[in-house]
Amino acid sequence: MTAVKLAWRNVFRHTRRTVITAAAISVGLSAMILMNSMMNGVDKLASQNIIDYETSHLEIFADGYYREEGVFPLDTIIDNPGLILKKIEQISNVKSVAPRVKFQASISNGIDELPVIGVGVDIKKEKEVFKIVNSVVKGSFLQHEGDVLIGKDLSRDMDLDIGSYLTIITKDRNGTYNAFDLTVSGIINTGHPLFDRNAALISIEQAQELLAIFDGVTELSVRVRDDRNLVRTKERLVQAVGKEYEVYTWRELNAAIFEISGFKRMAQFMIALVVVIIAAVGIINTMLMAVMERIPEIGTLKAMGFNNQGIVKMFVYEGGIIGIFGSLLGCLIGLLLSLYLVHFGIDMSAMFGNADIVYPMKFIIVGEIDYWTVLSVFLFGVFVSVFVTLWPVRKATRLQPVDALRHV
Amino acid sequence: MVETINLYKDYKVGKVLFPALRGVSVKIEAAEFTAIAGPSGSGKTTLLNIIGCLDVPTKGDVLINGTNTNKLSSKEKATLRKNEIGFVFQTFNLIPVLTAYENVEIPLILLDMTQDKKRENIISILEEVGLGEYINRRPNEMSGGQQQRVAIARALVKNPSMVLADEPTANLDSTTAKEILGLMKELNEKHKTTFIFSTHDQLVMDYAQRIIRLRDGKVVADKTKKSEGPGDSS
Ligand SMILES: Nc1ncnc2c1ncn2[C@@H]1O[C@H](COP(=O)(O)OP(=O)(O)OP(=O)(O)O)[C@@H](O)[C@H]1O
Ligand SMILES: [Mg+2]
Repeated sequence: MTAVKLAWRNVFRHTRRTVITAAAISVGLSAMILMNSMMNGVDKLASQNIIDYETSHLEIFADGYYREEGVFPLDTIIDNPGLILKKIEQISNVKSVAPRVKFQASISNGIDELPVIGVGVDIKKEKEVFKIVNSVVKGSFLQHEGDVLIGKDLSRDMDLDIGSYLTIITKDRNGTYNAFDLTVSGIINTGHPLFDRNAALISIEQAQELLAIFDGVTELSVRVRDDRNLVRTKERLVQAVGKEYEVYTWRELNAAIFEISGFKRMAQFMIALVVVIIAAVGIINTMLMAVMERIPEIGTLKAMGFNNQGIVKMFVYEGGIIGIFGSLLGCLIGLLLSLYLVHFGIDMSAMFGNADIVYPMKFIIVGEIDYWTVLSVFLFGVFVSVFVTLWPVRKATRLQPVDALRHV
Repeated sequence: MVETINLYKDYKVGKVLFPALRGVSVKIEAAEFTAIAGPSGSGKTTLLNIIGCLDVPTKGDVLINGTNTNKLSSKEKATLRKNEIGFVFQTFNLIPVLTAYENVEIPLILLDMTQDKKRENIISILEEVGLGEYINRRPNEMSGGQQQRVAIARALVKNPSMVLADEPTANLDSTTAKEILGLMKELNEKHKTTFIFSTHDQLVMDYAQRIIRLRDGKVVADKTKKSEGPGDSS
């Protein structure tokens, strides 16, 4: 028999109470873990979408081009990408480079007109850097001059199908309005709202003509072989291309999104805190009852020579055991729910409908488990359980042994 | 050896002080088998609690084997109780979730002793109190007499220099009470442990070798028998 074993027996004096308390803890912790997995999943999917469709790993602009997201100035573009392409491709970690021309435009189907982002893509290089080619769900990727690729949401909103005609209108570099008639050659479904709803992809040559920028491109997108040390690759690129260009990682280009994500995490933390407080109140209540109903017993133990420290230890073990139970259970449930999310995901689109969303992903949330978080949540649960036990126990240790013994 | 010197204890009842002990000086030698007798309210429990360091006197001193307990911190008092004093309560005070064996084991949690030695001590004391067959019973599976035997075993297992028992037989029928007293006497003689117990039951008093009578918080008589054993009237 040890103090731990004694505590263990005491835990099972009121099995029901112990189970309820542990359950309260486990509900709190599993909610924390599930939320974390959802957040991670959301971030991972968003990152993947950004890399696969929007920016790739790194982007190179002409110096002064990049001011903020969604602004595409034509006065500071890369006028002659050929000058640096070779240098970029020679860097060992660089897998491929693709030029793009992005511009503000609107498209019209003859009845409605909608603003879009025009994306001129290099038909050959595009496939090596981005995954748009794989996301064509109807028709085919750009093949001829005059082809346009649009997202499935845009095709629905504007009632466009394969073979439909549309007009793309934009202001060229000189401020003159320019328009082309295009034929829809393919419809894409990327999961990235920008491309599914707001973009029109045309060949880079056509975009250059439309904007009167000759061989100019707005950006060079770089896919790397190993994305673990992008900052180093970025440094290499900066060295290679020189001061007339600027280089950004995909993360830097999407700082705003990850700021939102930081905010969400804050919200997640607050919710978790509330849940934990509820669980903590549960265990305080249980331990308070345990202490109160056992005050005469505490007196008996004191009579046998237990000092306050010994009494505190016994109850702390007891709270700890309940905490370990609850936390284990909570982590297990949280993990199982997260695993479900990882394998099946949940479709939140019904909840959000087609509301405009800032996040570069669809509302199908796929979980991503962070095992360090699970471990921290477990330790946190046990710590809180032990910590809050101290308070009720102090009440009992303040009594003289004789008063504890006489207590009814 | 226990000595109380001019012990006073006042209880606060509402705004007034109620004197429960009014100058108690007694000296109890090692291995004595002493009863504290007296009518209800005379201060028996109060005296035993103060001797056992469960309560503090308002005035006066208690010396246990020469140590003045007034000078001890609550932690030091706990250590003194751990090593020197065993308690037996009127209401047995066993821990309900533990078996007889485990209840007896509790005081040993605090002591440095090998697991084997602990086991040996527990089994031997449980056999001495006649519960060799009952070591795995829980308190609610035992009679009052059996529970009090467990409590006595628990008090004695660490081999203390004294056992304090406040009305150990008050919740037992007279036959069982006699058995328990007989057992305590036997253990007192065998282990040379000082036993101090309180009672207002004449039958129980008859077992005592010495009877200290209290009334209204004062010692009114203190008699030591020449011959030992029950049956002698005092
Ligand atoms: N905690 C307390 N608060 C106030 N008065 C108390 C307290 N404990 C005891 N007393 C009073 O002190 C006196 C002595 O009480 P004590 O319990 O020592 O008597 P006792 O001899 O053990 O009586 P009994 O035979 O009924 O157990 C009694 O009058 C009692 O009412
Ligand atoms: Mg009493």
